[in-house]
Amino acid sequence: MCPEENDAMQKIVPAGNPPENAIVTCRGLTKSYLQGTIEVPALQGVDLDIIAGDFATLAGPSGSGKTTLLNMIGGLDRPTGGTVIVDGQDLSRLSKAELADMRLHKVGFVFQSYNLIPVLSAAENIEFILRLEGVGAAERHERAMAALQEVGLAGLENRRPSHLSGGQQQRVAVARALISRPAIVLADEPTANLDSRTAGGLIDLMASLNESRGITFLMGTHDARVIARSRRHLEMTDGRIIADERR
Amino acid sequence: METLRLLGPLAWRNIWRNPRRTIITLIVVSVGVYSILFFASFIQAWSVSSRDRALTLMTGSAQIHAPGYLDDPTIDLLMSEPGPALQGVLNAPEIRGWTTRLSVPAVIQSEYRSMPANIVGVDPTREKTVSTVPELVRQGRYLNSPADGAIILGEKLLNRLKTRIGKRVIILAQGADGASVEQSFDVVGVYSGASDLENRFAFIGLDTAQKMLGAGGKLSEISLLVPEDENLTRVVARLQKAAPELDIRAWRDLSPMAAAIDQITDTIVYVWLWIMFTLMAIGIVNTQLMAVFERVREFGLLQALGMRPRMILLIVALESSILVGLGILLGMAMAVVTVRALSGGVDLSFFADATAMAGVGNALYPKIDARQYVQLSVVVWFLGIAVALWPARKAAKASPVEAMTHVS
Repeated sequence: MCPEENDAMQKIVPAGNPPENAIVTCRGLTKSYLQGTIEVPALQGVDLDIIAGDFATLAGPSGSGKTTLLNMIGGLDRPTGGTVIVDGQDLSRLSKAELADMRLHKVGFVFQSYNLIPVLSAAENIEFILRLEGVGAAERHERAMAALQEVGLAGLENRRPSHLSGGQQQRVAVARALISRPAIVLADEPTANLDSRTAGGLIDLMASLNESRGITFLMGTHDARVIARSRRHLEMTDGRIIADERR
Repeated sequence: METLRLLGPLAWRNIWRNPRRTIITLIVVSVGVYSILFFASFIQAWSVSSRDRALTLMTGSAQIHAPGYLDDPTIDLLMSEPGPALQGVLNAPEIRGWTTRLSVPAVIQSEYRSMPANIVGVDPTREKTVSTVPELVRQGRYLNSPADGAIILGEKLLNRLKTRIGKRVIILAQGADGASVEQSFDVVGVYSGASDLENRFAFIGLDTAQKMLGAGGKLSEISLLVPEDENLTRVVARLQKAAPELDIRAWRDLSPMAAAIDQITDTIVYVWLWIMFTLMAIGIVNTQLMAVFERVREFGLLQALGMRPRMILLIVALESSILVGLGILLGMAMAVVTVRALSGGVDLSFFADATAMAGVGNALYPKIDARQYVQLSVVVWFLGIAVALWPARKAAKASPVEAMTHVS
């Protein structure tokens, strides 16, 4: 990012109390990994609030800490220091089982490599989340079919992931991420494995879901088209958020 | 139940997701279980054959004597022919055969030498139902009837007496009245292949023995054969009830040495079986470990989607129990079919010299020991599940990120 662009962005001011409508609040978030005997910092004191309805992108060079930050917010890993609060729950206070419940009910994930369960069909992949939530069979099926319809995959419900294209798989992943009506959807490089046309379609889909249903998205990405469509853009370097721009 | 409904179909589909891996695991488990069970049956048959070979020479499964005879086996302590009550039990279906004997210490004299020996008067027809000595007559013939006036010698005794078939020997013994008796007998047969007996026992007709010794219809022992050792205690108890005045003992009491050898053989069989089991288990463990380790990433994903760590363990346990269970059932079925097919006997007469050296009979009769089959299979089943749970537990304990970035 050039200095002019950087100046145009809103500089990050260390946050105090989070806004009332914050879905995610990070304060003084740090994470370091051990590589042999050397401690490598991945996050170095991140303060961040994600507000309900945000359609935000998180960009930065490789190794800047984007994925690590998404993992901390999604409760996939524990921070070395600081706090993460998701939908009012302080993740540092949760046990492993409670973290799993939090992920199930409050966070939807879209991964770069789709990560669908290969032995389940498109509809079953979506229903799986509802099964974990204990939703009855009839409602499960109805909601899964509606979700597939919403992501434009009606008629493909019985196909297994191996019989779906990359774009179709990623749409199933989006439907799966949304099915539990989560507080936030975290997407890590969602378009990285897709061709430009398919990626464009996926971006349109996520943007329309954000606009029509107010679903909050935080996406780690390098993709300029995704960044261009976002309404909030965060820039990371060396484990710190260096810029936060609202559009 | 709801958990099972959630995980059951997923587990079943996971099992068949990689058919090659599943089939390899099934083959490893089933062949492993088959080997364990089949060898268990085979080696058990070996052990039983070894024991039976010793018991069917003379001892039998149990013997009946007059009280005190076993401590002082002389002509003074004889018993009568079995009465109707005792015969009723002796003719029970659990008893393959029984025989009556009159056995006394004596001296056998040939043209050149005199040797001490036990003279045993037998009923040849009955004797063949209990003892293998008649089959061991390799030169000449066995006795024709209880009144046969001939004698059968062991090969070693024959050599020590420096006599041969067709020659006569004289038996010197103490008669029932205390006086010495002597009678000459034609040597008509020689038995060999029972080194324990060959030096010590010579056989004559029972009636001839009773007449020579003046023992009337008296006997010194009844020997009986119970093919199924597990029935023996019950049979002995029934005999004791039918003839409480007699001394009735099972082979373990009669032959402490045979009992000790049997126990040692059992221990060797047990150790050998567990060595086999360990080798097979290593194969099963290895396959299971590989199968689960390569799925650690997937377990990370399931956790990321909100599956609790406990459920990860449950699904792995479920998959392993189904897969290993199927392998076990397959292995058991193959073992049952093979053992059933061989239950008529595995003929080892081709290796007669080797089997004689090893102390086993010329045929082995493998049997299905249901309890042993179930015990071994259950151990394999639990082992299969436990080893799969180890990497699954590691995956469940790791954070989803650690599991998802795991490199197989």
